[in-house]
Amino acid sequence: MDEVIVEYIRRTVLKIPRDEIMAVLQKWGFLSEAQLQTINFRQTKESISHSVAQLCEESSANIKQAALLDIIYNHIYPNKRAWSVYRMNKTGEETDFFDFRDFKKKFRRQIQSALINVTINFREYEDNAIWIRIAWGTPYTKPNQYKTSYVVYHSQTPYVFISASTLRSNLPLLCQAMVVASNYHDIREMELRSHCLNSLKDIVFKRYSQNFQTNYPLQERNVLTENVDLRINDENSSEKERIHRLNQECFGDGPQPKLDFAQYKLETMFKSDPKWDVLEKKEPFRCLVKFSSPHLLESLKSLAPAGLADAPLSPLLTCIPQKARNYFKIREKKSLHPGNFVALFQLQDSSETQHMPILST
Amino acid sequence: PAGGQPFAGALIERRGGARLAARSPRSVHPGSRLLPPRFQENADPQKTAFLLRKQWTLYSVSPLYKFSSADLKDYARMLGVFIATEKQKGLAVDVDGELGVRVAMSGLPELRGSEQDPAAVLVQLSLRSSLSPKNSEEKLIWSGWFCCVAGDDLLEDLPENFTCLPLFLVNGAESYTAIVGSWFQKTFDCCFRRLAISPLNLTWMAAMWTGCKVDKSTAATELLFSVPHLPQPLDISYAIHPEDAKALWDTVQKTPGEITQEEVDVFMECLYSHFHRHFKIHLSATKLVKVSTGIASAHCDGIIKFLQSQYLIGVLMLLTELAISQIQ
Repeated sequence: MDEVIVEYIRRTVLKIPRDEIMAVLQKWGFLSEAQLQTINFRQTKESISHSVAQLCEESSANIKQAALLDIIYNHIYPNKRAWSVYRMNKTGEETDFFDFRDFKKKFRRQIQSALINVTINFREYEDNAIWIRIAWGTPYTKPNQYKTSYVVYHSQTPYVFISASTLRSNLPLLCQAMVVASNYHDIREMELRSHCLNSLKDIVFKRYSQNFQTNYPLQERNVLTENVDLRINDENSSEKERIHRLNQECFGDGPQPKLDFAQYKLETMFKSDPKWDVLEKKEPFRCLVKFSSPHLLESLKSLAPAGLADAPLSPLLTCIPQKARNYFKIREKKSLHPGNFVALFQLQDSSETQHMPILST
Repeated sequence: PAGGQPFAGALIERRGGARLAARSPRSVHPGSRLLPPRFQENADPQKTAFLLRKQWTLYSVSPLYKFSSADLKDYARMLGVFIATEKQKGLAVDVDGELGVRVAMSGLPELRGSEQDPAAVLVQLSLRSSLSPKNSEEKLIWSGWFCCVAGDDLLEDLPENFTCLPLFLVNGAESYTAIVGSWFQKTFDCCFRRLAISPLNLTWMAAMWTGCKVDKSTAATELLFSVPHLPQPLDISYAIHPEDAKALWDTVQKTPGEITQEEVDVFMECLYSHFHRHFKIHLSATKLVKVSTGIASAHCDGIIKFLQSQYLIGVLMLLTELAISQIQ
């Protein structure tokens, strides 16, 4: 057992960028300052990890300490994992006083009543975020510390962020445990996924700057401030300003939440210019569209100014933060209101919890 | 004729500088192309199964001087010696326990358009391991094959002693590609060039392959667009259900037996306008980098994947045409 734990700690250390290993170990607090001083941080990461492992072995690190190190690592580098968002519901308005000890006890008991072979650790952070680490075993094998799920729960909210990793079959058990431990009635997966945990929080907690109505008169507004070279005459300046203003209205002023992708399952009708004399089908034209970017919303925001899209951009794209989702199913609206763009498409509120199927090989 | 050798450090000795007579360049984007033929019934799909579902990097190859398909065994031996020599110089990859690379060259007569085309030639490199020296337990590490499907244009005026195999497909390490390529360039006075696929040709592939009839349910028609020059780059994947894509194409494609540029344009415009209706984005202003269908997938860097043996010849015909365009 010891060797497994020590090796696990060593591998966790290996994941940390070399310059930050010291800081992380200090945060961990298991090794004393004196011990940390003995490590030569100018070695290769491989060697550093062995030095740390050695010290941990000498100090008899146990599973709880190893788990804690892993929690700290994931708390500092949450974007290495993919996160899904869930929302819990309860009837009634009572806001119960949150008892952390009670929560932990109920959570643990709920999971272990179904599966005894698990390692469960909790850590509470200053922003009321509770981090839960679960390492999964099976009915016949001990927990595998490398097969972990993470849950991040802000106790004052109904939102739960889950990074299930490889063992999705344990997801229902995990969700059940959350509901029971937090005194809610049920839990539902939202159509919102990303690697950027903080951005997911920004979106559901509405912490990004939202659309604002422009009530300010033209002169006061912060129009594009460039170094004006009087010799250059921008013929399109009014068009540029129009695009800029519309973009502001759609996306707001501040930084956008960071999402990796948005996916749209289209089940709308194909409509074409009659001069082409093509497809006139009664059934929907089925498509799957996926937008990917290191920073999707910023990327979409830059399309109109770059001349690649019309301004204002489609509400299907600009509604992402407000609707707190990046998976969509779009159907044609039954009654047509020509000229009213937003009414042309109907966002289907999907009650399904599985991912949209990808059509290509 | 090409300038610029793709294999760095390779010695290129041109013998006699024999070149093809200048000819009027074949139109790179012809007004129309024939519909891709389906595979001949009596051909054995087993023989070509190994080509499927692998990623092949494309090159164009200028005609080979004094190449004979009867001498493949000799060529294989000579290439083997060359590889060993290159490794001595430290130019090749060396793996523990490796006794050397074995070269096999064979003909693939089924991979051609007609009797006029030369048979395809397959080159395979396998690793002999010290673990099983006598066994045929050799690990295939690199494959490359030359082929010519319906190369009529180039075959017509071909001077004597030249063999036309303009398309070269590679799967394996770049280092071996460079060595094999250098040997062929030296030995047969030919020239290899990476074959990129233009967005225009990708749209042809999207249209043609979408229209191919397949027996069982197949993958979606997927177009991948890239917008790299934004502050934050954007990739857009646009996949259409194969039945719906084919239904659209079938109403667009009206000329019997062939496909015209105009039909391809209308097909793409339909897809672009459907997209624009939803997202207000002009896909036509972005860069089409990859096309995938149930028949095959193609990437603009000149990478292809064959997914169905039925249409293998049809796809090779199109690729041969692109290779020939690049050579001229």
